[in-house]
Amino acid sequence: MRKGILIILREKRTFMIFTVIYSLLIFLTSLFLEFAFSGQFGDLALYLVLIFMFASLILSLLYAWLLVSRNKRNWATFKCIGYTNGNVITMLAGIILFTAFLGFFVVVEILFHYAAIFSYVFPDNVAANNTLISLLPTVLTSVTFMLVQLISIALIYRKTLKIRPIVALKKVEA
Amino acid sequence: MDVMIKAIDVNKEYRRAGAIIRALADVNLEIKSGEFVIIQGPTGCGKSTLLNVLSGLDIPDSGKIIFDGENIARATEDRLARLRRMKIGFVFQDFNLIRTLTALENVESVLWPTVLRTSEIEDRAIAALRDVNLLERKDHFPVQMSGGEKQKCGLARAIIHRPRVILADEPTGNLDPESEKEIMDLLKEINKDSETTVIVVTHREKLTSYGDKIVKMKDGKIQSVK
Repeated sequence: MRKGILIILREKRTFMIFTVIYSLLIFLTSLFLEFAFSGQFGDLALYLVLIFMFASLILSLLYAWLLVSRNKRNWATFKCIGYTNGNVITMLAGIILFTAFLGFFVVVEILFHYAAIFSYVFPDNVAANNTLISLLPTVLTSVTFMLVQLISIALIYRKTLKIRPIVALKKVEA
Repeated sequence: MDVMIKAIDVNKEYRRAGAIIRALADVNLEIKSGEFVIIQGPTGCGKSTLLNVLSGLDIPDSGKIIFDGENIARATEDRLARLRRMKIGFVFQDFNLIRTLTALENVESVLWPTVLRTSEIEDRAIAALRDVNLLERKDHFPVQMSGGEKQKCGLARAIIHRPRVILADEPTGNLDPESEKEIMDLLKEINKDSETTVIVVTHREKLTSYGDKIVKMKDGKIQSVK
């Protein structure tokens, strides 16, 4: 799993794009979940939470699909040099979970900074509620996002099984 | 010498654009441990298919492949993967290095799924890179290496787990004559020093001088074994 993370960290562009999208989705879902809990915006908050959750599912599936399809030759090479399907899936699952976890970490970091800046700028209101989103919606959203990743892992499981090691031997056209 | 790989009455057909192509026709071949075998023949004669079935990458339609005493023609995918990890080293024509990994990491990657400690894997990878005279390039990425260097890295990856057999599919197909000689000399050296069985598939006639055994193929059949 660690090596999968090493590989995706070097795929800077794909990794950055999906981490930013996940962070944004986790942030927005948590925010509207907070609104839904506090009764603000009525049913709209709940609808938006569902929309963001659905978007996260679609994006997670897209991410998983991209990871396998764009690097099919690499995964075939790994199989060729002796990786079992389990080894390949573990690497891919590591990449997917790491990206989602990093999205959660970025959101938590943003919320900490928000609270810190708020307390610094309005020192008299420190006792008041100075958090943008409280802990419960953030954690609930992140747990749901992690569960969504499991669906992606199920998808890559099927796709990975279909990659034949012999693909690695196909000649690359000049 | 022990028999390392034995192909018995192996047949393999492909269906392409509605036509049936007989890639291997009643192939019988015996490769002994420590031999340097060159499988030579024109493009499309079935030599790569033979290499694929010998390594368990492809399944023959009929016949047996006895690899180190075990019939692998009907083995499961995971069993074949473990066999490749333990006993086979692959050298590819297109190098197949992972572009986001350094030379050292590419070599190490073979042993990542094993229980070996990270420090031991690194030591072995460094030793393999030293064996192929590529240690000074260990921190370079494939894109920063020449064709010959990439193939040396591929060769180091093929020997890090001390396999019993090295299979090379047109290993010099994308190399200049100087690098070709270097890679073939290295393969010969590995074959002599560690008594590793080496099987090289090539269409180049001149590479036959490296082999202890020359298998000539045409139209899916073995024409001669010398």
